[in-house]
Amino acid sequence: MIEAVAIYAGCVLLVVGALFCLLAAVGVIRLPDLLTRMHAASKAGAVGGGMILLAVPLVSLDGSVALRAILGVMFLVLTTPVSAHLLARASLKSTDNVTFTALDELGHKKDPSL
Amino acid sequence: MTPADAVSLASTIALLLLGLALLLSVVRIVVGPTLGDRVLALDLLTVLAMGFVGAVAIRTGLTLYLDIAIALALLGFLATVAFARYILSRRVAGKQQP
Amino acid sequence: MTQIIFGVALVLLWAAITANFSTPNLVLGAVLAIVAVGFLRRSFSEPLRFGKVRSIARLTGTFVVELLISAFRVARIVLTPDLQSALRPAIIAFPLSVKSDAEIATLANLITLTPGTLSVDVSEDRSVLYVHALSFTTREAFIAEIANGFERQVKEVFA
Repeated sequence: MIEAVAIYAGCVLLVVGALFCLLAAVGVIRLPDLLTRMHAASKAGAVGGGMILLAVPLVSLDGSVALRAILGVMFLVLTTPVSAHLLARASLKSTDNVTFTALDELGHKKDPSL
Repeated sequence: MTPADAVSLASTIALLLLGLALLLSVVRIVVGPTLGDRVLALDLLTVLAMGFVGAVAIRTGLTLYLDIAIALALLGFLATVAFARYILSRRVAGKQQP
Repeated sequence: MTQIIFGVALVLLWAAITANFSTPNLVLGAVLAIVAVGFLRRSFSEPLRFGKVRSIARLTGTFVVELLISAFRVARIVLTPDLQSALRPAIIAFPLSVKSDAEIATLANLITLTPGTLSVDVSEDRSVLYVHALSFTTREAFIAEIANGFERQVKEVFA
């Protein structure tokens, strides 16, 4: 009984995670510039990928698999913001065109030596 | 619906959704327009591939696939860091030799 | 003392992940744990206190909730038919009151994964964090929200 409930919960988590992944991809296509796209990819992507990883132990019901999945999710959650931050920083310093912003407090403070 | 049916149905739906997502991020890689956009889409592509491998792990019941998914996440992170450093260094090199 | 607890936890984690509690595997885990603790030696400058563990747990809890909210909010914005009016992107200079590297790094990571915000850059003198917002209302409200939310909790963890 408990096993069946866990399996159904895992199925729901898998589909919801896949849906978030799809929304991340739609966001990357639809949003107007790099920084707004980064919002979609880093948040929805991390949540979607993490949900799919957590669905695996719910379906297989194995302790060591659960531990590995949790470690994988922790790793994903720790590294996604770091890579998003690095990419945002690198592309802001290499191209000066922030195309679509209402207010830009970084723009006029940009270090002229860079 | 038995649990086995549910797993089969859910993994089919998830694989379809992820396939569509992979296609969309490939479109962004091709369209661009800047290098940053392409790197971002590649980063998303590795996360999506990780999700795909996870869905395959659930479908086949082989949890060994989970290790592949985690290794893929690690690889995607390192690739993005390397690309970010490349974008920064390209800027510096371009400045030295205009 | 903290180092020994950390090392033992690492060995147990290694054995659990590899699903193998045999002696050779435990020895291999111990060697890896000693190497890891050796690399991290300088991070153990202060002992782990119970209050600190509790504030870390609270920060983690807030973070998970905020992460889920942010994913839903991004999803809603992505699915809005009229994107131009739903978006009001901005880069805002957030004055940092936390000073150490670890605190700034933690805060920046938390900001990136919470609703509508993405940390972009830190100024050279580490006094300002540049944050990109997906749809902001006013600058003051935005800054107050981060300062009263995550920054205070991060300070509690590292205090």
